[in-house]
Amino acid sequence: MSQSAEPPLTDRTLAAPAQGQMAARAGEPRNYVGIVRVAVLVILAAVALTTPGFLSQPSILSLLTTVSFIGCVAVGMTLITISGNIMSFALGALVGATAMVFVLAANWGGFAFGLVAGLAFAAVTNALQGFLIGWLRANPIIVSIAALALIYGVAEAFAAHGTIYAATGTSYAGFKGKVAGIPVEFVVFLCVAAVAQFLLSLTTFGRNLFLVGSSFRAAEAIGVHTWRAVTGAYLWAGLFTAPAGIMLAIRYDAASMNYGLGYEYDAIAAVLVGGTVIKGGEGSVLRTLAGAIVIGVIQVVLVLQGLRTEWQYLIAGLIVLGVIALQTPGTRD
Amino acid sequence: MKRLRDDPHLRPLFVLAACAVGLALVDARDFLTVATAASSLETFATIGLVALGLGLTMMIREFDLSVVGMYSMAGCIAVVMGGTYAWLGLACALAAGLAAGLAQGWLIVRLRLGSVGVTLGGLLVFAGIAYVVTENRALPYENMEVALGLSAPVGGIFSVRSIVAIAIFAAAALVIGLTRYGRDIIAIGSDRRAAMTAGVNVDALVIGIFGFSGFCAALSGALLSYSLASASPAGLSDVIVPAAAAAILGGVSLAGGTGRPLGIAMGVLSLAVLRAGFNAVGAPPYVNEVAMGTILLLVAVLDSTYLARRLQGLVRRVH
Repeated sequence: MSQSAEPPLTDRTLAAPAQGQMAARAGEPRNYVGIVRVAVLVILAAVALTTPGFLSQPSILSLLTTVSFIGCVAVGMTLITISGNIMSFALGALVGATAMVFVLAANWGGFAFGLVAGLAFAAVTNALQGFLIGWLRANPIIVSIAALALIYGVAEAFAAHGTIYAATGTSYAGFKGKVAGIPVEFVVFLCVAAVAQFLLSLTTFGRNLFLVGSSFRAAEAIGVHTWRAVTGAYLWAGLFTAPAGIMLAIRYDAASMNYGLGYEYDAIAAVLVGGTVIKGGEGSVLRTLAGAIVIGVIQVVLVLQGLRTEWQYLIAGLIVLGVIALQTPGTRD
Repeated sequence: MKRLRDDPHLRPLFVLAACAVGLALVDARDFLTVATAASSLETFATIGLVALGLGLTMMIREFDLSVVGMYSMAGCIAVVMGGTYAWLGLACALAAGLAAGLAQGWLIVRLRLGSVGVTLGGLLVFAGIAYVVTENRALPYENMEVALGLSAPVGGIFSVRSIVAIAIFAAAALVIGLTRYGRDIIAIGSDRRAAMTAGVNVDALVIGIFGFSGFCAALSGALLSYSLASASPAGLSDVIVPAAAAAILGGVSLAGGTGRPLGIAMGVLSLAVLRAGFNAVGAPPYVNEVAMGTILLLVAVLDSTYLARRLQGLVRRVH
């Protein structure tokens, strides 16, 4: 959890110009935000630990799988947020659609084919949006909302009954187990997070992404191919989101657009809680990991306290409002 | 003639004509009926006011994502509070919409925050309240008299709902066309700092427009719930996709500084005719959703900042 308060050295050095400036200008509010953050974490931990059954094994396992599904989408969202495009409203729909593509393809050509088809579908769908946003500089919010409507509309055309079931006889039992006591989902999520952090911290693509996000004009002026960075961010966001859909399909041996409902909101809440800045150019996957754990804990506590899932939107909204109000005051552009 | 062709405010007229002619060519007998006109106006009443509020926030270079949440929440408030007196429920819903809109505007101005972030929080909070109140089911409204009265045809093709929407559009068009508020809004959208220097009360106007946007969303949400005799949380894409598409079709630019209420009204009307036409010719429901998504994507591309530059680059490469 300390990651959220203290970003790792690597991305601080990479995004040095933007962050140095920010710290100099807003040193005071930062400390204040830090205090609020620690206080909230302490309260959350206290509520979680005093909730009966939170530390039981089924509850911890369900926490890990919840965090994994939200986390994969949130890691994808992190790249989009860092690139300066705020968020994508289409990632939840992408989760459902990827699950459907995976089940359809796996029914037709086997598990491996389904895996490839699901990942390719998510990458291409997202990269197309990224291309419109990066190359033409179309508005990212509008493009993602349009993509949301298109994905739902096309899915409805293909699956009139809503749910697609895995063919009888195909069982993904091997992928439902545990590795050393940890759910497979969580292992996949950790791999996704590791790949994303590697991309952001150690590659030219990652460096360009931070540059484009902190100042589009400056990045363009020094000759960065801005559209490649933005398209890449969306492409990778699709690839990181796809595992969530595929794992949901494996878990339920079926796929439906409903599987993805609300994931984009949990993801953006996780990204913002982790401390990635909504206006871009600053952030890390490790922070999002911490944010996803916070959101996961909140959801598991809500369920254990007997509150219905309908409360999740309200809680996510209050979190987003609170974090945004605290985040970098007075640095609107 | 060139001036006419380049005027963005005429764009929706061409689109409207194209929609009508296209659908008439597909199936004139089912499309060219009074029922289609009436159903177009009902859709106009459903998305028009949301598009107007959203369009005004786009004109000052902001974006009010919260309209969808407000739309759902206002419907729930109206149904819960308006059991005995429909006007009481409506008043509560409108007050909530106005207050929530003003509060968001205040946050944006006072804390100097981006409007997308703040209204994203607003969207989730309002939609969350709607989900909690309705328990994710349709909440029935028992007062059937009000429900029937709101949907009853007036003068052949109108209804109370569509008349309210048209009246508010007319009022907004008059205020923006004839008072200095119209010029101030365009000035804020074009160059906020210059507008401030020129003496425009930018902060008050921004807060006011967010209040108006919340009010409009609440009004159409409450009236829709009354006329359907039930309230249920609306999906994000149901309202904001046609509303945003209609505003941009109607000459509003996401870059701010252009647009006017009549243009937005024409944009809404063309989408409403399209939707009514799909129903009239018996197209399955997903056709409408795909069409709305495609239109929004197209107008987003047409409105994009680098479109002209990229096209020039392509032309240069060809030569």
